[in-house]
Amino acid sequence: MDIKIKSNGFNTLFVQAAGRLDLDTSVEYGTTVKDAIEDSDTDIQEVVLDFSQITFISSFGLKIILELYKHMKDINGVLKLKDVSENLMNSFKMVGFDKFLVFE
Amino acid sequence: MFKTVRAKVIITAIIMLTILMCAFAWHTIISRMKTKQLMVQNYVYSLDSFANDIKFRIIKSEDNLKSLALIGGLFYRTDRSYELTDRVITRIFENYPSTLGGGIWFKPYIVDKSKKYVCFYAYRDKNNKVVIDKNFGNKEYDYPNQQWYKQIISQVTPERNIVWSKPYYENLGSYTTMVTAGTGIYVDGELVGIVTVDWEIDSIMDRVSQMKPIEKTLSMYKSGGKIQNSFALLGNTNYDYIIATTDPYLKNDNLIGHSLKEIPWYANNLYETTYITYHGKKYVPFVKKMKNGMELIICIPKSEMFRAVDKFYSYIVLVMLFIGLIIPILLYYSMNNYMIKPIDKLINIATKIGKGEDIEIKIEKPQEFAQLASTFDKMTKDIKSITIEKAKINSELSIAKSIQKASLPNVFPPFPERVDFDIFASMDAAKEVGGDFYDFFFINENEFMFLIADVSGKGIPAALFMMTVKTLINNIAQSGYSPKTLIEKVNKKICETNKQGFFVTMLAGIVDIYTGKMSIINCGHNPPLLKRINEKYEYLQLESNYPLGIFEDADFQIYETTLNPGDLIYTYTDGITEATRADNEIYGEKRLYECLNHIEETVPKIILEKVKTSILQYTESAPQSDDITMLAFKYLGHNYKTFKQEAKIENYKELYSWIHETCSEWNLSKELTNKLDMCGEEIFANITFYAYPEKNGTIEAELKKENSNIILEFKDYGIEYNPLEKPDPDINLPPEERPLGGLGIFMTKEMTDSIYYKRENDANILTLIFKEQMDS
Repeated sequence: MDIKIKSNGFNTLFVQAAGRLDLDTSVEYGTTVKDAIEDSDTDIQEVVLDFSQITFISSFGLKIILELYKHMKDINGVLKLKDVSENLMNSFKMVGFDKFLVFE
Repeated sequence: MFKTVRAKVIITAIIMLTILMCAFAWHTIISRMKTKQLMVQNYVYSLDSFANDIKFRIIKSEDNLKSLALIGGLFYRTDRSYELTDRVITRIFENYPSTLGGGIWFKPYIVDKSKKYVCFYAYRDKNNKVVIDKNFGNKEYDYPNQQWYKQIISQVTPERNIVWSKPYYENLGSYTTMVTAGTGIYVDGELVGIVTVDWEIDSIMDRVSQMKPIEKTLSMYKSGGKIQNSFALLGNTNYDYIIATTDPYLKNDNLIGHSLKEIPWYANNLYETTYITYHGKKYVPFVKKMKNGMELIICIPKSEMFRAVDKFYSYIVLVMLFIGLIIPILLYYSMNNYMIKPIDKLINIATKIGKGEDIEIKIEKPQEFAQLASTFDKMTKDIKSITIEKAKINSELSIAKSIQKASLPNVFPPFPERVDFDIFASMDAAKEVGGDFYDFFFINENEFMFLIADVSGKGIPAALFMMTVKTLINNIAQSGYSPKTLIEKVNKKICETNKQGFFVTMLAGIVDIYTGKMSIINCGHNPPLLKRINEKYEYLQLESNYPLGIFEDADFQIYETTLNPGDLIYTYTDGITEATRADNEIYGEKRLYECLNHIEETVPKIILEKVKTSILQYTESAPQSDDITMLAFKYLGHNYKTFKQEAKIENYKELYSWIHETCSEWNLSKELTNKLDMCGEEIFANITFYAYPEKNGTIEAELKKENSNIILEFKDYGIEYNPLEKPDPDINLPPEERPLGGLGIFMTKEMTDSIYYKRENDANILTLIFKEQMDS
């Protein structure tokens, strides 16, 4: 999975990936994001996951999102999901993630 | 024990020998009796001849007496020359050698008034010389006073009869017992004297008692001949006096002249067969009556008389007994040697040959057994060569069998890349090659033909014909005819090639794999069973056509139906329904029906295996009488997809591509595809992570389109686990408290319209059912 992470130079990370977030890719996705937060020179307080290119999210993908959410919470940051398709949104809703996740 | 040849021969021999011995014994007894009779007869004859001898002597004596009487008369009438008379008497006596002595005795004073005694006497001395004895004409002897003189002179008559004196003991000169015969000398009718002839009795008696009646008869028996302890009696019955006897129990001298009645054993009418018992001994009396009332009786002890004969016969009996004993022994020995031993040898060799040993059978003697052995040897060799020949034929048959088997499609699965149908067939040939066969092939891109057939008859001819038919069907089928035309052409062709009167029953199906449309035809074959998905097997009662190869113009009815994915058709030959167990009851259609409906699996291979097991259980040890041939075809169609991979995380991609390909092939909605994708991943992950903790295993999945449902079924053979039992996570909890796990199965439950778990045959089966949604 090709994951691109950009920083705005302050405290926000933009994560861009394309394809499926599933058994095969989720762990890599989650680890990459967490590493980027830690490796950042600045204190990251906001992570924006660009979902415009994500076509599929499985329970494993959702689990990683929950993990990232908890991680951001721990560092007093915010996890934002951007451009989530309606299809994927149903999955978030199904597990009640829509109640706490921030969608843009 | 008595069943052996040995015993039988010996028993027969003993019986025969016994009969022989009996016959011999009978013969011996008879011949012994005859011999005895002969001996008696013979003795009677010798006695006769002896009596004749005596008679002859008597005649001679009488002649002698007459001569003497003549001389006496002459002397009286003539010059009375003493000297001449002496000479004449001497001469006469010389002419009568049997006479012991005799003389001429004149009455006292009749010749010469001054001379009282005028007599002439001559006798035979020891040298048989006739001697004149002058010692009788004197006072001392005083012959006129002698008893014999008185007796004779008192009895003589002028007719010149012969008078016999009683025997007397002569105490002058010869000192023997004598008998005197005499007659008178008559001159001019006047009795002037007498003439006498003396007989010495003792010598006669001696001769009599020493008569050996069997000397000649039994001269061939060494011990024969001597008769001891026999005795004789000579008497005169006219005057009833004893002349002489050699009876050892009586004193001869005292009895001479006495009445015969004084002899204790004497009787008037004695005969050879009237045995006398005398002093505790049995005697055979031989009686000879002679002239002048003389009677000679000789008594011979019975035991003595027949001793030699008895001895001889007892020898014979002994010899016979010995033979009777030795013959069975010899027989046994020779039989043992010449019959039983060769037989035993043959039996031994035969047993060894029976065990497979390679032995040459050779017996040199006796000739019959040598012949038998060589015949036997030849037979063994013949059998061996026949066996080899047979083994060769058998091996050729088994080659034929394997060729036949190889000619049938026997690699399963035959089309491993195809998932739209499943087929399995098997043929278990009976002992010999048979006429059953099955076949299946694509006749064009879409249509698949399967068939099962049974050629009438068995053996090589049926097998060869079967090959022809199989090739023929295959060839014609490839030509693109409609099913009806195809069958008609096949039938016609079979009729053409069939010169031997074979016919073929066949059940064939032609399935359009893409539509499930099936043409099925039954040419005199057993009805197939059709199982519609989720239903029971039922016999498919088709209109039955003629078997192939009978009528060239036969019309064939084709049955058409449509198979749905999961439908299954089972065909077989009569080897199944006519499988027979020991009590001759057949397996039958009913049992087959029940057997099939008890099989839960719907995989053709397993179905066939289970039916076969059922038949084997039914027939038990009874030999398989006919080919057992089956073919099962399961239609899966294009609404049925399967997936099978090792349960490894790397294979996840294979799964979701399989799901996506199927969904796009079936034109499923994006949303449903998504659901299948998500659920699929969850179950795959579960199985991969947890089902096989210690080993590698597989994961199987099926996607089915049934009616308006999409069914996704997962199967693994790992540890038993029902994911549906896991409690659902609370989705209303604040995010901080929510656990990371348990989402997947929850989502799966949410997304499916229904979901089931079952544990079956050591497999976890999870079935997910989704309502089909058309893509808007």
